[in-house]
Amino acid sequence: MSFGIVSLVTALLFLTEQTIATSLVPIAYLIPVIIAATRWGIWPATLAAIVSMVEADFFFFPPIYSFRVEDPQEAIDLLLFLVVALVSGNLASRLRQETETLRQRERDIHNLYDFLRRLAACFTVPDLISAIENYLSRTLGRPAVFFAARNGGLFEPPKFGAAPQAVMERVTSGAAPMGISGEAVTDRSTRNVWLLRTARSETAILGLVAVNIGTGSSDVLAAMTRRVETILEDVSLTLQRIDIGKAIEDARLRLQSQLLRDAFQGTMSHELRTPLATIRGSASVLESMPLIRGDDRARSLVEAVSDEVAELDGFIQTLLNATRVTAGGICPHLEWADPKDIVNAAIKARARRLATHKIDIEFSEDLPLIRVDVGLIEEACGQLLENAAKYSHSGSNISVRMGRKQDNVIVSICDQGVGITPDELPHLGEKLFRSQRHQATIPGSGLGFWIASIFVEANGGHIDISSEGRGMGATATITLPCSSTTPSDGHNR
Amino acid sequence: MSRPANIVLLIEDEPKIRRFLRAGFELQGYTVIEAENGSDGLKSATFNAPDLIILDLNLPDLHGSEVLERIRSWSNVPVIILSIVTNEDEKVRLLQAGADDYVVKPFGMAELLARSEAALRRYFKSATESPVVVAGPLSIDLATRMVTLNKQPIRLTRKEYQLLHILATHIGLVVTHDQLVKDIWSGDRRDNIQYLRILVRKLRQKIETDPNHPRLLVTESGVGYRLQAPAEDMASD
Repeated sequence: MSFGIVSLVTALLFLTEQTIATSLVPIAYLIPVIIAATRWGIWPATLAAIVSMVEADFFFFPPIYSFRVEDPQEAIDLLLFLVVALVSGNLASRLRQETETLRQRERDIHNLYDFLRRLAACFTVPDLISAIENYLSRTLGRPAVFFAARNGGLFEPPKFGAAPQAVMERVTSGAAPMGISGEAVTDRSTRNVWLLRTARSETAILGLVAVNIGTGSSDVLAAMTRRVETILEDVSLTLQRIDIGKAIEDARLRLQSQLLRDAFQGTMSHELRTPLATIRGSASVLESMPLIRGDDRARSLVEAVSDEVAELDGFIQTLLNATRVTAGGICPHLEWADPKDIVNAAIKARARRLATHKIDIEFSEDLPLIRVDVGLIEEACGQLLENAAKYSHSGSNISVRMGRKQDNVIVSICDQGVGITPDELPHLGEKLFRSQRHQATIPGSGLGFWIASIFVEANGGHIDISSEGRGMGATATITLPCSSTTPSDGHNR
Repeated sequence: MSRPANIVLLIEDEPKIRRFLRAGFELQGYTVIEAENGSDGLKSATFNAPDLIILDLNLPDLHGSEVLERIRSWSNVPVIILSIVTNEDEKVRLLQAGADDYVVKPFGMAELLARSEAALRRYFKSATESPVVVAGPLSIDLATRMVTLNKQPIRLTRKEYQLLHILATHIGLVVTHDQLVKDIWSGDRRDNIQYLRILVRKLRQKIETDPNHPRLLVTESGVGYRLQAPAEDMASD
């Protein structure tokens, strides 16, 4: 190509030989040299300079059509031309290189800017991952793979791109994959180097970026590392922003459910209980009136009213408890208590609903004090007692036993009722679970046992249910820790 | 129970609840006056000099605890709180602020009457009256410190007697953990509640027929203890 331009200039000069002075010839030859330098770089420019000198000598310096130079002055001219051509060619090609670098940099900045704009629009982690994928695959211009982090300190297989065996091995196996950062892995088959970098915020690891930086020199490696690190820094900032955003959103939701809970616990319980208080109170006054006392029929009616009110009140209490649990608001208020007091209170509070059964109570003598939230445990015992009464025939026995087993206080409530079949057993702890068998025959909300388990667990204990099967009765067992090292600040087991 | 007609003041905003309270108290021979909000209640408490005040916590103008505080600033008249809240801390606060007892809605009239009579008894106990407190088979002579169960004298340790003495002077009324701990151990260290629980167990071993199912010395969950005559227990069930 350089050769072509030089020849073209030679032809033009040859045609116009008569009109221009020989002294201008070297200057004209500088044109192709500079063109070659700016277009194609230093080596074509050097070639153009040498060819120009040779052709000028051949065509224009006497003796014409010979490479010989007779005049020493002209020889010096030609050499001088060569030096000037080489120097200016070099300068021009360097200028070209600089321009090229600037353009590349501008492109990089533009890409980075695009990437930042995408990051600004990220509000979730999947958004962020897709932005990284986009940047790596389109912009970086090198094969790249992104491994998303998974719970348990491992990375998921890549969603896009393919990584060679060596990279996969390093990422999916091996010790502490989360610790990988700034490693370079060489793919043995292609000798390509893959750079590994983790994308993380201060608190969490998002994933791992693997970029193929080819077989390049340490310069290329350093440059690529810089670019990858730049974007990962921005990713980390965005991740933090998303974390904060999520925390704010969570707090907002918590506040909402808190408000809902407060509304229910305050307003609803007030609105529901005030009429109940009137009914219960009025019925109790009626019960005490000589007129009613003397009339068996009237008395039994009034008693029915009182019983139903007690039932309704229990149901409202269950709903209130469920709201407490659902809103995540159980923080046990621990104090030392006598477990006998708790069980006695639970039985007394539900005396009306247990009146149809024979309650047989047995406490062992070695019961220690326990540190629990008395209200929660009493409520849990009450729920289990109520279930025992509900799922067994009236007139049957409910036995309540309490004893000590190693460092635990065990309360067991055993009925002679409908029992639990093996396929019902695993569902018992679920909220709103009610067995098909009883849906139509025994009223209930499916909340009682669920609430009881959560209340007991909040105190560091647990409930077990066992049954020999259908019609064989069931036993609910509450286990509560009684050592003084039991939970001091809440619901850890 | 022989006594002149006691005047009871009902401070309660729900007319239907006032209606059955009036019926219930009048059946027992009380004279009833009503107030439907806190400021009327305070006025009535000043001018009508009631023997007993039944105070609802949830009033349209003032909170019940504020009414209680104002009454307590000039009078020791027995006050029983009606509340819909079953929060133990709130109960303890009210008792410490000077309430004589509380009843949680919904409640039966018998329970409220039992509390009312206990509060009146404590308030009107004259110096000339016999210093013997009787709770079922148990009798406590506050003057001679003699305790008998089914007419048989029983021996109590100093702390057991102190506990029984405090509960006996409040017979029928709840006494908070804090007050018991403060009076028995002369310090208000909160962790002493363990010792209180153990002391109660020991005392129950000596005075209850079945210590596992106490009828006399009963627990008020999260609040305190109450010494009661078994007849009241039956009535409130």
